[in-house]
Amino acid sequence: MSGRRSRVSRWQIYVPLALYLLFTLVPFYWMLVFAFRPAGSTAVFPWPVTFEHFATVWNGMGFAVFFRNSLMVGVASLITTTVVALAGGYALARYAFRGKGAFMVGMLCTQFIPGALMIIPLFEIFRTLGLTNSLWSLVVAETVFQLPLSLILISGFIRNIPYELEQAAWVDGCSRLRGFLAIVLPLLRPALVAVGSFAFIHSWNNFLFALMFINDQEKFTVPVGLAYNLGENSVDFGALAAGGVVAALPVVVVFAFIQRYLVQGMSAGAVKG
Amino acid sequence: MRRHGPMAAVVLAAAVLAGCGSDAGSGGKTEITFWDTNAGPARTPVWQHAIAEFEKANPTIKVNYVGVPIAQSAQKIDTAIAGGGVPDVADVSTSGLANLVAQKALEPVDERIARNPALNGKFNEALLTTVKNVVPDGKMYIYPTSTNAGAFWYRKDWFKDAGLEPPKTWSEFFATVDKLTKPGENRFGFTIRGGSGSIAQMLEVVYGQSGVTEFFDAAGKATLNDPRNVTALEKYAGLYKKNTPEGDLQNDYVKMVAQFDTAGSIAIMQHNLGSYQDHMKALGPGKVASFSVPRSDSGTQSVLSNPVGGVGVFSAGENKEAAFKLAEFFASKDMDGYISKETGVIPANTDVTDKMPDHIVEAQRVLNDPATKVVQMPYHLPEFNEITKTWAEPQFQKVLLGQLSAKDFLDQFAAKLTEAQAGYKQRNGGS
Repeated sequence: MSGRRSRVSRWQIYVPLALYLLFTLVPFYWMLVFAFRPAGSTAVFPWPVTFEHFATVWNGMGFAVFFRNSLMVGVASLITTTVVALAGGYALARYAFRGKGAFMVGMLCTQFIPGALMIIPLFEIFRTLGLTNSLWSLVVAETVFQLPLSLILISGFIRNIPYELEQAAWVDGCSRLRGFLAIVLPLLRPALVAVGSFAFIHSWNNFLFALMFINDQEKFTVPVGLAYNLGENSVDFGALAAGGVVAALPVVVVFAFIQRYLVQGMSAGAVKG
Repeated sequence: MRRHGPMAAVVLAAAVLAGCGSDAGSGGKTEITFWDTNAGPARTPVWQHAIAEFEKANPTIKVNYVGVPIAQSAQKIDTAIAGGGVPDVADVSTSGLANLVAQKALEPVDERIARNPALNGKFNEALLTTVKNVVPDGKMYIYPTSTNAGAFWYRKDWFKDAGLEPPKTWSEFFATVDKLTKPGENRFGFTIRGGSGSIAQMLEVVYGQSGVTEFFDAAGKATLNDPRNVTALEKYAGLYKKNTPEGDLQNDYVKMVAQFDTAGSIAIMQHNLGSYQDHMKALGPGKVASFSVPRSDSGTQSVLSNPVGGVGVFSAGENKEAAFKLAEFFASKDMDGYISKETGVIPANTDVTDKMPDHIVEAQRVLNDPATKVVQMPYHLPEFNEITKTWAEPQFQKVLLGQLSAKDFLDQFAAKLTEAQAGYKQRNGGS
């Protein structure tokens, strides 16, 4: 009886999961087929395999440069977002100060403002700072937009670490900073992975900021390069799919390495708000 | 060593980003920027070659090419105008010209053209009229370089197998579409554009069939709901599901071209000259060719005016003389011929003698035929884009689905455009 029940429950789990996977993976399969099969082919499988579309996007369309730019912006955004969120999150978790509740609500409210609405004000600020046409403008904008959620996540995670651990370190002669580095930071690894990966992926995928703040062909990023394949009167599906594979690869690799930390970090940070 | 990893990463990223933010300098040359507002693998190399030729002819000027994807080009230019940082020169079509002129972003070029013997009197008159018509002061704000034309791309091999010739009249067109529709073989005679961009193609078929030659009558009333247009729309919408796939309701250019080029299920696809490269790459010259908009059964050849492409010089640019030089170079006989040939459009410069491909020669023949009536589309109306995109496209889908009659749709459409035209006349002193 219990065996039958467990068989039924397995079906109930695997059938919806399989359907969900099908919906998720079909677009990826479509992308791989178009990326690897020759132009003009209508084959359902990517055979014979060709790399001509990858050569087109990598060498002909400048994806080598776009990829390098995206990587630099992604890594820099990851670092700045994580460092600032770590410091701010610690302050929110461990210090009581006037207006803390309002500050948290204010940060949440910033999530309701779409990035497109901020383009012109940000453009003017960056122009005043001499940052337009610089990859730094993307790093700063990404960090600012990522910070509210990152702060909330990290502060929630720090609140879950017993304060007594830090106090014990102080009793043993550690300063607050040393206690934080020696005791708290190692326990924050899942949260840092979650925040860092979100910052990297968001910055990697951001199209609007890269298009609006950059006016130099050598400084555009991968999402802008992808958009080149959708012309007014021309769509190169092979190049579009090959560009999609190039764009998706780092994100897939990042997720493959961090997924166990990611789930841990998200759930732990969400226990206490 | 491992403990220094994060710090090393910060320093490295900062150093590289800082390096990328600096100007390389141009060795004392005048530096200007050109924005290609429809960048992509097909057009970017063409503009870059033209720029290289310009730099060879003008060694003291360096041109920085910036490619902007077409879907976001208007937003990027508007942001640059509002926040600063416009280019010196950009390719600008008449479909976006009124918006730029309203923001005083572009320099007029009439006097420059008049003073330049290589350009004065060298542009196609019909295109000059279109360029001047879209702005209230009737001035030229771009150097015209090209125009497009409606084209019906068809499967040459299927026509041959069926013993059919490209249709010359609309009656022949509908009969041909019927003959080529074989649902059992997943073949459809036509693909209708029901999604984004549907209205221009719908209007081309409607005015082409009806033979009505003006968009507004003398009193400023839109002719859209003329009974001949209503009948024409009923016939066009009647193709949906009978001779087209059901999914055409959401057809934009990408889906339409995917069905025609990749899926191989469509016999005739209505678009324009611009999709030539896509068809050739996917199907090859042996399988695809084009015919022009058929004549009405009364014998009139009515075609819609297409947006005119050109290059504009921005008022806020710092190196205007160099910018004008570049724009005039692009509009000159040799470069206009090269760019038009490579991008598959009709050159605006009438001195161009380059041998054009067959589909362009045919489009030029129709455009230059004195018997052809060009219906001037109301690109001058700032509301036109919003009315067609936001209001008319969903309503047209209702017509295809049979939820709205062709007459009611065209009545409402005409009323909106008549009102917009009256407002335009009032704002511009009745001109």
